[in-house]
Amino acid sequence: MTAGPSRGRRYVMLLVLFCGFGIIVFRLVTLQVLQAAELTAKADRQHQKTVSFEGARGTVSDRHGKVLAMNVEVPSVFGVPTSLESPSAVARHLSPVLHIRSGELEKKLRQNKSFVWLARKVDPEQGRRLEQLSLDGIGVVMEGRRFYPKGPLLAHVLGFSGMDGQGLEGLERRYDSQLHGEKRVTVLQRDALGRTVFPKGLAEQVPTPGHALTLTVDEVIQYIAEKELEEAVTHTRAKSGTIIVMEPQSGAILAMAVSPRFDPNVVAKLTPDRWRNRALTDTYEPGSTMKVVVAAAALEEKVMTPGTMVFGENGHMVIANTTIHDHEKLGWITFSEVIQKSSNIGAAKTGMALGEQRLYHYLQGFGFGQRTEIDLPGEVSGLLKAPKDWGRRSVASISMGQEVGVTALQMVSALATLANGGVMMKPYVVSEVRDAKGRVLKEVLPQVKRRVVSPDTAWMMTTMMEGVVTNGTGAKAAIPGFRVAGKTGTAQKIDPRTGAYSSTQFVGSFVGYVPAESPRLAMIVVIDEPQGEAWGGTVAAPVFRRVGEQVLNYLGVSREDTVKIAMATKDY
Amino acid sequence: MKTLTIIAGVMLVFVFVWERVDVVRLGYQIERSKSQKILLERERDQLQVKVSSLASPERISKLAMEKLGLVPPQQGQVLMVHQPGIAPGLSHPPVEQVRLARHVATGRVNE
Repeated sequence: MTAGPSRGRRYVMLLVLFCGFGIIVFRLVTLQVLQAAELTAKADRQHQKTVSFEGARGTVSDRHGKVLAMNVEVPSVFGVPTSLESPSAVARHLSPVLHIRSGELEKKLRQNKSFVWLARKVDPEQGRRLEQLSLDGIGVVMEGRRFYPKGPLLAHVLGFSGMDGQGLEGLERRYDSQLHGEKRVTVLQRDALGRTVFPKGLAEQVPTPGHALTLTVDEVIQYIAEKELEEAVTHTRAKSGTIIVMEPQSGAILAMAVSPRFDPNVVAKLTPDRWRNRALTDTYEPGSTMKVVVAAAALEEKVMTPGTMVFGENGHMVIANTTIHDHEKLGWITFSEVIQKSSNIGAAKTGMALGEQRLYHYLQGFGFGQRTEIDLPGEVSGLLKAPKDWGRRSVASISMGQEVGVTALQMVSALATLANGGVMMKPYVVSEVRDAKGRVLKEVLPQVKRRVVSPDTAWMMTTMMEGVVTNGTGAKAAIPGFRVAGKTGTAQKIDPRTGAYSSTQFVGSFVGYVPAESPRLAMIVVIDEPQGEAWGGTVAAPVFRRVGEQVLNYLGVSREDTVKIAMATKDY
Repeated sequence: MKTLTIIAGVMLVFVFVWERVDVVRLGYQIERSKSQKILLERERDQLQVKVSSLASPERISKLAMEKLGLVPPQQGQVLMVHQPGIAPGLSHPPVEQVRLARHVATGRVNE
């Protein structure tokens, strides 16, 4: 009798245990096998933190290592609206720190979101004040921000980068692949308190910063050029202006100033018109400065010599049913005087003596109608039609600098070729690329493009252009104590409404080099649409003198009278 | 002998545990130092930007003119002299060893 119920209880117990274990095994299989992947991921999310690191964007410095652009980690402020009890109180506290209206902040904090940006990339001081306030539901994260410590200095060349660190304009864009830091995603472990646990080998995982660029530009020369250009543009009430200073022997750009200026630290409200680098994106009809190129071609081809007599037609000459005028009535003059007095008729006759093919050959040789291949984005090739598309007046017009479109950079490169004994160099702005540890990755050496004219021709042109400054239209470019070679240019602009030459809109320019006997600087000054008197010799030549004088002093270039002083001081 | 073996075994376990704890402690210490390094680097960069903007030629020129009353040298006020004993123009492009003849410029040449 006793065995019956006890055996029954045993079976019940066994069944209960069996079911119990069965449930446990079922649960284990569910957790460990069936839901394994999902649960592992969930656990990982709790104790692992995926962080995306980006190395800092590389620094840009001038030729002496002065910083022109660099990245700094700055605070960005965010809010967690869902965890806020009183958004209005928090907004009132934040408002004076972030300098944003309380109402605006409150609106953001009342949104039904778990994350909202309140202010990105603010001043470090604001970040510190926020940390002191330690408001619940308000957080600060660090983000890299691009700073241009010199403000508008060299802005058109440097360009700028976007909110997410991508290069958008200028060098920032051209060298984006070198400048941007390495991007790397790393998984970090977190402990129970949420602190990051130092994982093995993290030191090796830190992303490397972007490469640093060293420029050929000198910030002092750049400043001198920008200051003088701003003054000239303001004084002449011009629409815009450009100055390029180049080292003729290497093609290195020492300064590239464009007016009006802009501050790359605050570009949000500006239009592309403001940040366009006009020195390479805008073409203009050069006018008389082109006569230098035609004259060099004529000397090289021995069509003319500096002493060849040319008849000035007393100021009027008819070509293809149109009349070419000179601003003064000239009779027989030497070829040198054609350049000195900037005679249109003399230049037209020179071009005609050369003929279409030879003229076109030398225009191409001096780099017109093609990009200079400078390492900056947005360069245009200008306008130079092939001889088959020329009209009956084209040879004469081109010889006077009409019917061609050039950039300021092309024109200064052409003149630098004469300053360099007839050899054209490729212009460049980046001289060195270094990695984050300072090792040189790339050193840019001066690059010869081609020989355009012989040293003799270059020397004769230099002497002729010195005459422009000593006795001709470029007298205001003369720098006391130095020999200056250069040429003025005044061109009428084409009125877009009528398609004809405007009688009120001009481009005044001066291009030249100094010291003429051993050039250290080749420089162009272009003043676009000056009001009032618009002659290149009046609006641009004085700017050349002021910039040239200051830069030569800065570089410590000896004047012609230096030797005398050295001899005089030797006695003491 | 048996007791000694047990003691040695326990000691080994302690050493092992201590070592593990120390590794974790050092891990945290390294993490702290790294954070500090990042903060210092950030501060260095911020200061560098500040130095660069304070050294801007535009600002210095403005201060020189407005605060110190300096003016750019006028025509003929800057004279260059060759430093004695150094032959000029030997390098190419010619970079001549010259210095500003301040004394000549201020008329104190005979001092």
